Amino acid sequence: MGAIVRQIGERELLLGAACIVALLLFSLISPYFLTATNILTVLRNCNELFLIGLGMTVVLGIGGIDVSVGVVMGLAAIAVGRLLQADAGPLLSGLAGPLAGGVIGLVTASVVVLGRIPAIVATLGLFGVYRAAVFLALGGAWLSGLPTDLTSVLGAPVLGIPVALPVVAIAYLIVFVVIRHTPFGLHVLATGNSEVKARLSGVSVRRVQFTAYVISGICCGLAASFYIATYRNVAMTIGGTLALEAIAAVILGGTSILGGRMSLLGTALGVLLLRILQNGLLLVGVPSLWQPVVTGLLLILVLGTEAGRGRFDAASLTRHLRRPGRQGAAG
Amino acid sequence: MLKTRTLLLAVAAALAASTTFAAAQDKARVAFVPQIVGIPYFDAMQQGGEQAAKKLGVEFVYQGPVDTNPVDQLQIVQNLINQGVEAISVSVLDASSLAPVVEAAKAKDIKLFTSDSDAPDSGRALYVAQASDQGLGYTIIDEMVKRAGEDAKIGIVSGEATASNLNAWIGYMQERVKEKYPNVTLLDPQFAGGSAERAAQIAGDMMASNPDLKGIIAVASTTCPGVAQAIETAGKIGAVVGTGYCSPNTARAYLKSGAFGYSVLWDPSELGYLTVWAGKQLIDGKTIPAETTPEGMSHPVTYDDKTGILLLGDPAVFTADNVDDFNF
Amino acid sequence: MSSRTSLTLPILAGLWILIVAGLAILQPSAMALSTVTTVLQFSTLLALVSLGQAMVILGGGAGIDLSVGGTVSLVAIIAMLLDTAGVPSFLLPVVCLVAGTLLGLVNGILVTRLRLLPLIATLGTFYVYSGTALAITGGSAIGGAPAYLLPWGRGTLAGFPLPFVTLVLPLFVLAVLLLRYTAWGRWIYAFGFNERSARLVGIPVDRARFIAYGFSGLMAGLAALVSLAWLGSARPNIGQNLELTSLTAVMLGGVAIFGGRGGLVGVLAAVLLLVTLQTGLLQLNVNTIWQVGIIGALLILVLLVDNIRMIRRTA
Repeated sequence: MGAIVRQIGERELLLGAACIVALLLFSLISPYFLTATNILTVLRNCNELFLIGLGMTVVLGIGGIDVSVGVVMGLAAIAVGRLLQADAGPLLSGLAGPLAGGVIGLVTASVVVLGRIPAIVATLGLFGVYRAAVFLALGGAWLSGLPTDLTSVLGAPVLGIPVALPVVAIAYLIVFVVIRHTPFGLHVLATGNSEVKARLSGVSVRRVQFTAYVISGICCGLAASFYIATYRNVAMTIGGTLALEAIAAVILGGTSILGGRMSLLGTALGVLLLRILQNGLLLVGVPSLWQPVVTGLLLILVLGTEAGRGRFDAASLTRHLRRPGRQGAAG
Repeated sequence: MLKTRTLLLAVAAALAASTTFAAAQDKARVAFVPQIVGIPYFDAMQQGGEQAAKKLGVEFVYQGPVDTNPVDQLQIVQNLINQGVEAISVSVLDASSLAPVVEAAKAKDIKLFTSDSDAPDSGRALYVAQASDQGLGYTIIDEMVKRAGEDAKIGIVSGEATASNLNAWIGYMQERVKEKYPNVTLLDPQFAGGSAERAAQIAGDMMASNPDLKGIIAVASTTCPGVAQAIETAGKIGAVVGTGYCSPNTARAYLKSGAFGYSVLWDPSELGYLTVWAGKQLIDGKTIPAETTPEGMSHPVTYDDKTGILLLGDPAVFTADNVDDFNF
Repeated sequence: MSSRTSLTLPILAGLWILIVAGLAILQPSAMALSTVTTVLQFSTLLALVSLGQAMVILGGGAGIDLSVGGTVSLVAIIAMLLDTAGVPSFLLPVVCLVAGTLLGLVNGILVTRLRLLPLIATLGTFYVYSGTALAITGGSAIGGAPAYLLPWGRGTLAGFPLPFVTLVLPLFVLAVLLLRYTAWGRWIYAFGFNERSARLVGIPVDRARFIAYGFSGLMAGLAALVSLAWLGSARPNIGQNLELTSLTAVMLGGVAIFGGRGGLVGVLAAVLLLVTLQTGLLQLNVNTIWQVGIIGALLILVLLVDNIRMIRRTA
């Protein structure tokens, strides 16, 4: 169990440097890039992905994956929206987000962990089921023009900073402390590293996995509250592509998709870099249709820098993934 | 196996539950296939279609794809043809997407026509138009210039880059600016797909990169909320005029907050009504006169025999002052 | 592995019969040849892409190809762009095959040479391929596919669509034979099941896996060709969602996500089941959103059944 949370490792430095280079480059080309309003716009657009990425980091950390997160946010957003419509007030509605997200996380966790179905297949199936649920819950219409109760709370600036940022920071801090300083955190990494070894060392592997999916659900739910506060609208297509974006950002950040290695700082930087590039490219006049291409190239390039260092050993990987119960992998 | 049986039962239950949807088939059927289900715009068309079906004594079938995917839409149309639905109207996602099924429809003597979004060279029977593409493109620019000035810089946020009706409107916007407002700068359109958050992201980026931006046009109704929210969030109410092709119900909150200066649309439920009416005329083999007031409608519509376009009328402009008079 | 495939097929067949029987009772008019034609017509693209996807997944090493949909779109666009640029139109099929294979081999290089995880590598190329197809066309379709293709793309033989008869069936038969009777096919299972032993006995794992990604690209290229011949135009989003539906079909068909287990007959059966289900629900005029939900639930249920069976056996 030698795995540790890497704090500031190579990848984080690389991403940090990439962010700074992108900032410099864009501000040289476009005079509007480095303005307060634009920076705030970029940060604002990061919110949901920050939170969903946080949950995804924990899920990948235990060696799982969840491709349904975007729609989970959608379902939670409907709960928040309906409560706002029913005049439940900002506090109750805002808290309903993480609560609903947590409940859906329980469902996901049950299917994946109790059903012992490979996470990618199970969550692919759930993606379809949840989409149908979104449609049912919306009944064909949109939630639009929702009351501004939540907006005035979550959208309000504190000392000039949108209140969302400190909330996101606190969420990251909580997860960081839990992972670094509690037995549970150790168990998460142990499980991700090698399920069998973790089990042999007395870790309740399935409880750890279960908890990870619930945490991810809560993060999606929190994202939903911010989503509603900002957009005051839920359409049927909500969150459709968010899951792949979140996975891309988390992988960029240096979290291993095989589990056992996670970097919260990396995730935050990955999200930031993606959004800076999307914003900057539009500012310098590249049509928005090219944005996915840049995301893809970035993913291949950054991950490609690890090429040939033997981090991915296909042979041990196959054994690592084999069911039932994973056998030990060299990490 | 016990579990296998449970599984089979579950599917059987699902199928049984769907019997309620199965339809009686003694009346002639008119189908409408929207670009996507679950959005208020097409919902309103569905309601209009149902009203017309009741009034005109036909049966109305409404089926559309969950994603704006032309192949899914084609599959739906093909299945309606197989069912022998007498008249099928489609709001095409892509002007050439009807090609493979036009022959199949002809062979079964099924009236295949377009509504809301056209496929001009496909051999469709006719096109039920909400307003002419030209009228829509021109109106939204004219209204924008009225509010933002003759030297304004205007941005465009559209939905799917593949939607041919949206692209046609954008084309006429560009034409109008070129011909009538030489000092207006119209930025290249950006595409947000179907999601509100992408639309908001793009609209926000657009305002940041163009601090002198005076207006943003949301072309797809799915992008309206995103654009409006971006204007509100950026604190640019009053400085940037938002608008789009969206219904009063969708735009109401934004018109009142001032994020939207106006909104341009027709009544989609009337369009749905007219669509079913047109389907009925086709089934009955009646020729549509150049100007007529269909049964159950309050105003006349025009039909151009040469182009096969049945026109609902002029687009309506909604503002904060008149928006409460409408409910769709 | 044999016990698993032998149970997958009966389950799929049972479900299929159930759907058809349900449809026959609820909508007797659907029992027509035209329904068969429609099901096969809309199975063709999915079947081709799923065949490639299945090969990649069978080959193990966490193999997966998320880029298949993007490849179909991009190949269709490339082919039509070259066609309009004056490349002789009789070369169009060749262009499709070559472009598809090359795009697939890019994945192969990323996975076997750069040692990127397949999920990451193909997520990257998914973004690049599908994004490029949309961006270079600005989203609009390119019409004017060569007229000689259309009779093949839209034609039928005794009610069976020509692309299905001339491509899907022969390719599946060929691939089944290949997997069962050639060394290459046995390798795929071998290193999919136990890579370390396979390497130890000298199987060129990397080369075979490289070829598997190329094959997946080739299948996507063929799918692009079929789409051109069928629709008569190249659409920049023709492959949208194919990555997820093909994955669903392959998993439903009994291929283990970690490779080495499962068969191609199951995959074809799963494709037909999925499209029959969609068609059945459409014929009954059930809202399309139910398709999405039912298919998702079906995937989970079938794997659950499979798991419970495996646990009982190991217990």
